[in-house]
Amino acid sequence: MNKNETVERRYLPEISRKEIDELKNTVKVSSQKIIADNIERMKKADPHRPDAMKYFDDIANLFGRRQQEIQAEKEKGKKVIGYLCLFAPTELISAADAIPIRVNSGWYDTSKLGDRVVPVEVCPVIRSTIGAKMIELSPFLEQSDALISVLTCDGMTKLSEILSDQKTIWGMNVPRIKDSTQSLRFWSDEIRHMKTQIETFTGNKITRNSLKEAITVSHRATKVFRRLQELRKGNPVIMGRDAMLVNQAYTWDDKKRWTEKTEALCDELEKRVQQKDWVCNSDTPRVMLTGTPMFWPDSWKLPTLVEEGNPQGIIVADEQCSGERILSDPIGVDEWSMDDMLNAISERYLMASTCPCFTSKDGNEDRINWLLNKVKEWNVQGVIYYVIRGCMLYAMEYSRVKKALDKINVPVYYLDTEYTREDVGQLKTRVEAFMELLNARVDF
Amino acid sequence: MITIGMDLGTQKVKAVALKDGAVVGRGQSFAGFDPAQAAEHAVNDALNVAGLKLSDINHFTATGSAMDLAPHTNSTVSMMGADAKAGVFLIPQARTIIDVGAEEARAVKCDERGLMMEFVVNERCAAGAGAFIEAMARALEVNLEDMGPLSLQAERASPINASCVIFGESDVVSLIHRQESKPEIARAVFDAMADRVTSMVHRLGITPEVVLIGGVAKDPGFVASLNRKLGLMVQIPVYPDYVGALGAALTAAARAKGAFK
Repeated sequence: MNKNETVERRYLPEISRKEIDELKNTVKVSSQKIIADNIERMKKADPHRPDAMKYFDDIANLFGRRQQEIQAEKEKGKKVIGYLCLFAPTELISAADAIPIRVNSGWYDTSKLGDRVVPVEVCPVIRSTIGAKMIELSPFLEQSDALISVLTCDGMTKLSEILSDQKTIWGMNVPRIKDSTQSLRFWSDEIRHMKTQIETFTGNKITRNSLKEAITVSHRATKVFRRLQELRKGNPVIMGRDAMLVNQAYTWDDKKRWTEKTEALCDELEKRVQQKDWVCNSDTPRVMLTGTPMFWPDSWKLPTLVEEGNPQGIIVADEQCSGERILSDPIGVDEWSMDDMLNAISERYLMASTCPCFTSKDGNEDRINWLLNKVKEWNVQGVIYYVIRGCMLYAMEYSRVKKALDKINVPVYYLDTEYTREDVGQLKTRVEAFMELLNARVDF
Repeated sequence: MITIGMDLGTQKVKAVALKDGAVVGRGQSFAGFDPAQAAEHAVNDALNVAGLKLSDINHFTATGSAMDLAPHTNSTVSMMGADAKAGVFLIPQARTIIDVGAEEARAVKCDERGLMMEFVVNERCAAGAGAFIEAMARALEVNLEDMGPLSLQAERASPINASCVIFGESDVVSLIHRQESKPEIARAVFDAMADRVTSMVHRLGITPEVVLIGGVAKDPGFVASLNRKLGLMVQIPVYPDYVGALGAALTAAARAKGAFK
């Protein structure tokens, strides 16, 4: 169905083909430049960068190889199902022989276009995704035949409505109270409903075998991801930005190939550990990022400031839905019956999430526990609490996180920004002051 | 041991010459379009006052938003780090240091060694900083230095919104249209600024003694409003606008001795 013609646009403005093409070309050129620049800087930051990173540099080109591969698959009749939030059960998509792909937008330029539709107070992830749709910039968003939108926050809720002007959208209702049996029951129904929807749409039945296979693929990816994270516990053997790129690329790459390439990276890194070949001095402050997501490529702004700062820091862990949360938790299947697998998927996607859209009788305590555990296991010396303006949930949960980190005497810095590139100077001052603070604590 | 600290702020560049733990010279210059040149002037002035030559200096440390442009630099230190160091050097009991400059307000929590423990910076808006007073003085058609004394004559407070310079200015215009007197409007401006700075400091937690530094600390109107809002008396060193540069000079001395990175 070409929704472009059949549905009246309730939100999106009419833009002429000429303007769309012009804007798309301009923004694409600027985006490719930013991708190239980010990678160039990552290469410079680590002169002995692992060879295995070459693959990820290539896959990081959002307008490159992966776009072509997906196009070829589509031409053979495969469906692409995009998703806007980590709660989307990607295993169900894969099990129906469709391609799951995350389509959240990390472009600053398109966030400015989104301002034509929603006010600037709205979170830039939302504005940028709207802008990307307006000018058809995002290859993966354009290639998606349907989108799963999980209604976690106000922005996501309305975003799905706005995108439904031009895309087939399947909303998933996520319960906000995590620790109740009725919530899990409700969510479990949503998951089962999504299974039917995907089956009907693709025309492919999700079988016990195909779902088992999809879950197994996820298990392997989680296993290698955990291996990579394990390597970040000791002296730094990989720059944080490199690990973050590998991590995030999973959301648009082919899952099996990603797993192989990440295995190769880990093999290489393990050799480096033996050779004591570190990427920076062992006394470089070890930083964890938490807060709002950092989508490639424009959100590399902050990690770049940390790792190229004077004094320099090294990112060793994060607690973000654009980062470790993607792969941290495996789907815990006991018996491989269809029912058991679906229950396991429901639990994995609901219970493992530390998104601040949730509360429970102890508030979002899972997030606090995650952070405290990371600080301890990854020997984190300072936490940057990153909030892109417009995200109420993360902004409001800060006080609690700060109190928890104060208790264990780990400094945390609240850094609020936007997708904008213009505030780099001010952010640099703050980030470097925080690194100086962390250094001073080590010195005395 | 002779060191120079330079503070390349958004509006002025300050330099302090430090000899064996005592300030021997100060100099300042408008940052203008060429902060590096301004820093040269400020350093020369400080050297002249001290009767020193460039070649006498063991170590130069720069701070401030344009620190990367500073000439002669051997090292840099963050503004927050410099504030903490000099604040405690000048007032040993200082534990919370509020720095209100032309374009930025920040607060630093520090320990007895002058190490920063935590800091907060105002959001990207000059409404909590000196530029706000300048804009409002223009709207009231009074000289900048008259704003403070004028505000002290006010009999009551009229609230305005200082979430942004532009909105603040339109609020001031509404007060003018309501024919409020100039002293009351001036007081409203300082109260609004002090409100912003106070909520920022509360996010950090207030640990006495509280010290106010930066160019705006010289404004009696702002100081009165801030004391009222914080419910305490802030301490102000003699040269509040040179504290950042002093912090850089102290850092330079410590680094020249190889004490820390």
